[in-house]
Amino acid sequence: MATSGPAIDVSHLTKVYGPTVALNDVTLSVGTGEVRGLLGPNGSGKSSLMKTIMGLTKPSYGSIQVLGYDVRASPMEIKKIVGYVPESPRLYEFLTATEYLDFIADVRGLPYEQKKERIARFVDALDLEGKQGDMISSYSQGMKQKVAIIGALLHRPRVLLMDEPLNGLDPKSARLVKELIHGLAKEGVSVVFSTHILEIAEAICDKLTILQAGKILAEGTSKDLRENAGLPGSGLEDVFLKLTGTKGVEDIVEALIR
Amino acid sequence: MRLAVLFKFAKVLMISRLRSTRRSIVSKSITSRPILIALIGIVLFVAGLFFGYETTVFLSFGGAPLTGPVAHQLVVTIFGGIPLFLIGFYFTMGLLWEVNASTEAESTDAINWLPITPGEYVAASALSTSYTYSPLLMVAFGYSLPIGILTGNLAGFLVLIPIALLSTSIGSVSVEILRSALASASTAFNRLGGRITVIMRIVGIILILLVTQLLFSGVFLIQIITSLVGTAAAASFVPVFWPTLTITKLLQSDFLSGAGFLALSVALFLLLSYTALSFRAKYWAVTPAAIHFAGAGSVSGPSRLGYIGLSSSSIAMLKREIRSATRRKEVIRLMAIPIIMPIMISFPAIFSPAPSSTSGPAQIDPIFLVIPFLFGIGLGALFLGMTSIGQEGRRLWNISALPVSASMLVKSKLLFTSLVSSIGLALGAVVSALLLHASIFVVLGFLGLGLIVILAEASLGIAIGSRFPDFSDGPRPRFVTIVGSIIGALLGIVEMAIMSLPLVLSFVLRTFLAIQLPLQFVLALSGAVGGLLTWTAYVLSVKPIDSILAELPN
Repeated sequence: MATSGPAIDVSHLTKVYGPTVALNDVTLSVGTGEVRGLLGPNGSGKSSLMKTIMGLTKPSYGSIQVLGYDVRASPMEIKKIVGYVPESPRLYEFLTATEYLDFIADVRGLPYEQKKERIARFVDALDLEGKQGDMISSYSQGMKQKVAIIGALLHRPRVLLMDEPLNGLDPKSARLVKELIHGLAKEGVSVVFSTHILEIAEAICDKLTILQAGKILAEGTSKDLRENAGLPGSGLEDVFLKLTGTKGVEDIVEALIR
Repeated sequence: MRLAVLFKFAKVLMISRLRSTRRSIVSKSITSRPILIALIGIVLFVAGLFFGYETTVFLSFGGAPLTGPVAHQLVVTIFGGIPLFLIGFYFTMGLLWEVNASTEAESTDAINWLPITPGEYVAASALSTSYTYSPLLMVAFGYSLPIGILTGNLAGFLVLIPIALLSTSIGSVSVEILRSALASASTAFNRLGGRITVIMRIVGIILILLVTQLLFSGVFLIQIITSLVGTAAAASFVPVFWPTLTITKLLQSDFLSGAGFLALSVALFLLLSYTALSFRAKYWAVTPAAIHFAGAGSVSGPSRLGYIGLSSSSIAMLKREIRSATRRKEVIRLMAIPIIMPIMISFPAIFSPAPSSTSGPAQIDPIFLVIPFLFGIGLGALFLGMTSIGQEGRRLWNISALPVSASMLVKSKLLFTSLVSSIGLALGAVVSALLLHASIFVVLGFLGLGLIVILAEASLGIAIGSRFPDFSDGPRPRFVTIVGSIIGALLGIVEMAIMSLPLVLSFVLRTFLAIQLPLQFVLALSGAVGGLLTWTAYVLSVKPIDSILAELPN
């Protein structure tokens, strides 16, 4: 059931793990072809939000719609149209990269020719050529990340959820992924992207959402956020630190090196 | 050697091993206060006292004197058996630990980059093994103390204490050699690369498990030695018997021989310690697997399995299961269970004189004789099924993020578990045909019934595994909780009992009422019951797996 509304519509989402409130009344809307950056300190709820949108964990309260499909009612439909890259992906280390991607493509029902062509193209582009026959257990963190990214893109997803996808990537691959996100967005793919590298977030995201302790602290373009923080001429790092209430970094550093 | 580092390191090793294997309230308490192991040992010592006293009551049953020759022979057997049992127990526990440990966890072990000498490592590791399993030693001491006092063998008991301690040390140090040897072999296999590594690893682990099961079976060893040399005295040449011979010779007042075997036992311990230290110094860290598969760089074409109606998703899931089972060390040992279990359970039957269908007046069908074998196969399929869900571990997101339904996952697990278990069944068919001289009809009946047993037990295992999964990825993953294991084992036995009811009924009717039911009918009835149980367990598996896929373990 495709829709002309937002690609992702999160409404009053709360996620509770035992005594911990991971997400607290989060409402968020991501448009078609939009690149949304999720920012926030460690443990602010970025990964929980992505997992809940993907249907990997159930919302405690609230609702999520992806391209008109309700996450609870139609999880299989959502998994067919969404690509997901988790933070520090644990892949099947006992498989080779090709075997892993072959598995993903087969489960997603890609025809043989399409599967062969797309795997070869991505493997070549991300510099895995010649290593695709090695077991993933022998890969570096960056190589594993590349395999996870390819796995999320093989089936031409209409929505991409990427949890810190540039972790461990070499500069060339990081640049390639950034350009890829841009290109996919132009094709109408909606991307939700979390990162700690604020320059990257500012460079490739149409809008930013800052989360802290499971709540949305601020939302908008980088310009909106600067105005919101009352720091119109500052860098995004200062804005982020002010909005998240991180103070006295210099004092802490001085105490540490003393 | 720095003693403070040694004791601290031994404590850390013990805690990390216990925490990675068990997550119960008991283990949490033990790992936060390791002194509890000593307290458990004291409690078990007291329990041992009680059982030891009861044994002496049993010995004196009918007024036989406790100091008589019969009682003395039993004391020699009990005291002599303890050292052999302790060596076997410590070695087997250490071996199981090694086989279960994941290579990923081993290669990232902190000891690989800490400033610890090989000597400190070997000593600390052996000490931690000895202390972890020390309650067993305590129960052995508790058990033998009243026997020693009441039979007038207190001196024997006093000699037993150092011999038992020496035995536990021999067992613990042997494990250290095994650890280094396995690390070395693993590295060598990895260098070979490709599918040969995978095959050698599977065969190697199955053989290690089988051989060690037999190695510490005293009866088996004596049988081999006797058949080779013709006399049980040949045991003197087997080092694992030396501590046992020390105590038996001393109890028989053969002090010279006793002292000789004591010297040999101490020398054995020193030699093993030196070997362990040398091995550890040489093969310090495990090299992570870097296997390259020549043909694995190209994507797979359409599978022939598609002709039998399997979808590309189902085939992909099955291929993934097979690769997981043949390439992950911690999973290979699970795959070995359905092969080893029937062999171990039916071991006595296999090595007994071959029964003949015409040998006795009762004319027992050979199919009744393969029931223990089927029982083993069923248990193997059950355990493999129980662990199949937890095996996904932290990689579960791969499945959860894909359009894979719960029923598809259950079917792929059931198909794979049944395939592996069928290897045990095929072995059983060969044994039935060759050793039991079974007819083709009986072999076919065995295969049919075996398949139903496998399906029923595997689906029950998956149902249990989906309700009690353990997704933790420690150095020694369990895949199913302890509660799940216990419930599963009990239900598995009950299920097999239900399936065998028609067979038992036919046996009873034939033996006591001379009513002969056609064997085909009995087998079909058992099969129908098994089919119903399979379907029920399948239905019961789908819902919890659906929940698992919708809520990743946090």
